[in-house]
This record gives sequence, structure tokens and C-alpha cells, in this order.
Amino acid sequence: MEFLARLLHLQPQTFWMIAKVIIVFAGPLTLAALLTWVERRGSAMIQDRIGPNRALLFGRWRLLGLPQLAADGIKFFLKEDLVTADANKALFWLAPFLAFVPAMMGFAVIPFGRSLVQGGQTYHMSLLEPGNGMGMLYPLAIGSVAVYGILTAAWSSNNKWSILGGMRASAQMVSYELAMSLAVVAIFLRTGGYDPHEIIAHQAVLWNVIPQFFGFLVFFVCMFAETNRLPFDFAEGESEIVAGFHTEYGSMKFALLQLSEYVHIVTAAALIVTLYFGGWQVPFVAAPSVTLSIAAFVLKLVFFCWVFIWIRWTVPRFRFDQLMFMGWKVMLPLSLGNLMVQAFLMYRRG
Amino acid sequence: MFLTFALITLLGALSLAFQKNLVVAGLCMVLTFFGVAGLFLLLANPVAAALQVIVYSGAIVVLVLFVIMLLSAHEEEEALKAHAIQRWGSAAAALALAGGAVKVVLSSSFLRTPPSPGIPPPMDLGALGNALFKNHLAAFEIVGLLLLATMVGAVVLVKRDL
Repeated sequence: MEFLARLLHLQPQTFWMIAKVIIVFAGPLTLAALLTWVERRGSAMIQDRIGPNRALLFGRWRLLGLPQLAADGIKFFLKEDLVTADANKALFWLAPFLAFVPAMMGFAVIPFGRSLVQGGQTYHMSLLEPGNGMGMLYPLAIGSVAVYGILTAAWSSNNKWSILGGMRASAQMVSYELAMSLAVVAIFLRTGGYDPHEIIAHQAVLWNVIPQFFGFLVFFVCMFAETNRLPFDFAEGESEIVAGFHTEYGSMKFALLQLSEYVHIVTAAALIVTLYFGGWQVPFVAAPSVTLSIAAFVLKLVFFCWVFIWIRWTVPRFRFDQLMFMGWKVMLPLSLGNLMVQAFLMYRRG
Repeated sequence: MFLTFALITLLGALSLAFQKNLVVAGLCMVLTFFGVAGLFLLLANPVAAALQVIVYSGAIVVLVLFVIMLLSAHEEEEALKAHAIQRWGSAAAALALAGGAVKVVLSSSFLRTPPSPGIPPPMDLGALGNALFKNHLAAFEIVGLLLLATMVGAVVLVKRDL
């Protein structure tokens, strides 16, 4: 660390801060871009077909269809940028940014590895230092404003399908946020703190997924609702309302909306790993080295990203009344009950 | 920093008041709430900032926008002209509230004895819980009861045939 900092004529702390900003923004973005490839190849694998593999690098290398990513990017940049005549122009332009910025911000609080102690300095592996007072409230807050991108896109398009999609998204958001927050509160109770570093340190012996199994179930399902992924992609619902909130979007604006969905998947997977699967902890290794801890975190992260894709191509979409029924009559009581049991156990223990 | 957030809050509030388009006005409200959350952060109270964003920006305005979208698909009809008495009444109410707020600030004991220099420790959830459930328990319970009554009232109003 100090060597690298001296190479750039920077203080080690400054260097690490800049490096963290780059890691936290570029990491999820790269993973999200790769996920669009994994999604198409994975869905092809699951449905027993070939999937995109025709794009060739320099007309020669196929690389399992990876050049498709570059082809898509070039295509999105070169497409004509259409704005429908009756759209609200300013909001129509603003919406992709409103979707993208919160998606990129969510990852900032997640510790992606064990803190590195070197030369009397501690380098924390998260953009927000521990003890900032926000803790796990931060991703909840960011997640709750993510819906504005969808709402603005839906409303500004001035299209009936889009507005239907936007309304579905907001109703779904409000219904599932409550159960999700209560599941997270049960984790706070169990840990006795709400900083992600504390939550991970508390899972050194036992991952939260075992004592908090019902909380995990609720949180896991709510994450699908929050990221608008199948079986909860009512905002999009392509078999019913064309393409929902992004019906009128094309070119790079569409790409931003789509990319923010994949960044949301990465953040959601990171939250699941941090809250329930021990973050960077390695099972049966008491004090993993920094490299090992980062590797463990990335491995868990990638696995849960894959689970999101896996479930999309396995489970069919719900009906909207089923979604509401499940949100209010299954998830909320389950989450509340989980919280009560946890509180009672803590009271018994004293 | 204070000026930035104060300006965001004020400009958001002003455009909220003068915006004819309901959905844009709703988005301005979100901007105002973000400004207030920033002010909370400057006051070393990140918990209040996070709760402000979760509850107000995240839940309440989403609900408001949902209702707006549900009622009027896109273009709103001309709003009714406000009666003169409504206009003057609201102006008087706003002035009274502003006067009260200024009076509270001016009568604060911190103005006479500036707090000790140095950065105070940021508020955390534990301190907030203690404040709510130890120092202000009665007020907390009364507010809870009020909300429950409102909820029961809303259900009774909507579902006539229970």
C-alpha cells in the first residue's frame, strides 16, 4: 500500500480513498456488464438453446459470445436517440440518471474484505468508514429512492403501458419495503449494532442465515421485489404491458435503465452476503488473510448474482393480486413474527 | 455546505409551491426532503438523515405519486381558482409558523452560551432509541395511539360494509 502510494506521490490514506472510490464504482459496474452476458448465455443454457454467439472479435474469435457485449455497447451508442413527441422532455432525459445514480451509490457501505492493518494504519475495505452512524440504514435509504427512476421514466413517457408499469412499481415498492426493513431490524437486534463491519464480525462463528432463517427468506424475496426481477418484474411485465416503464426508451438511455437493474442485482447480492452469509468471513478459517477474505466475498457475491439469474429463468411471474397478497399477508406477518421471537429471545437472555 | 443544502431545501420548496404539474411538484418535494436530510447530516445526526430519506422520500412521496398517477393519467385539468380567504388564511398560517420557528431559534440557550468547540460524536440508533423510549415515552405512545386511530378511521371510511 505505502509503496503504491509513494509511486503516485500521495499519502497512503489519500491513495486508499481514491482506490476505494474506483473499486466501489468500477467493480459493480463491470460485474453488471458481465451479468448481461451471463443472463443471456445462462438463460440459453437453462432453456437448452445456444444463445448469442455470433459476434466475433476482429472477425475471428468467438470467446463464448463475450464480444456480444462490445457489439451491444457500440449499437446503443450509434442508435438514433428518439424522444416521443408528447413526452415530458426534461423528465424523460432525467429518468435514466435517477435510476442509475442510486444504483451506483448503494454499494458504498458494503465491506468487501477484512480491514488491512499495515504500518500502524488501518485500511477499511468499504467506502464509508465504520462508525459513520448510518450503517445499514444507508443501503435501505438508497434502495427506497431507487424507485424514482422507474416512476419518472414511466410518467414522462406519456404512454399508458408505461404509467401502468410505474404504478405497479410504486405499489410493489411500498408493500415490500416494510417487511424487508423489519427483517433487517431483527439482524440489528441479534448483532447489537447496525454497522456492517459489526454485523460481519458478529458472524465469525455462525452465519446469520441459520438462526435468522425466516428473516433471510423474507429479505431474499423482498430483494427480488426491490430489484424488479422475475418473478416480481411487474414494472416491466413484457407479456402484459409491452415493456412497462421503458417502453418508449431506446439507445443509450435504455442501456442506462437496463444497466442500473443489473447494478441493483449486484448490490442486492452484496447485501444478502453481508447480512446473512458472513460477508468476507471464510468458514472454518478463524482469521483469514486479507486476500482470502476478498476472494471469499467476491465468490459469495458472484454466486448470489447467479441465483438472481437462475431464479428468473426458472420461476414464472406472479399475478399482481398474488403479489399484494404475498407482500401484506405472508411476508409482513412472517417478518413481524421473526422480529418478535428475536426480541423475546433477547429478553430471556437478559 | 450548509448554504448548499439550505438552498436545495428552499428552492425545492419554492418550486413545489409554484409548480403547476403535480408529478414534477412531487419530485421537487423529494428534492426538499433530501436537502433536509443533508442538513441533518451537518448536525451530526446521520440516523435522522437516513430515516428522513427512508420514510419521507422513500415511502410517503412514492405513495403520493402513486395516488396522483392513479387519479389523473397525465394532463391535469385546470385547478380551481383559490378563494381569497384560502389564500390569505394560508399566508397567515405560514407566517405564524415561520414566526414561531424564528422565536424558538432566537430563544435557544445555545445562542448565549456557544457549545464547546470540537466535533460532537454522531448520533446513533442506540441513543435515538434511548431518547424515544426513556425520555419521551409518553409522547411516543400518544403519537402511536393517534396513528392507530387515524388508520382505523381510514379503514372505516373506505370499507362501509365491514
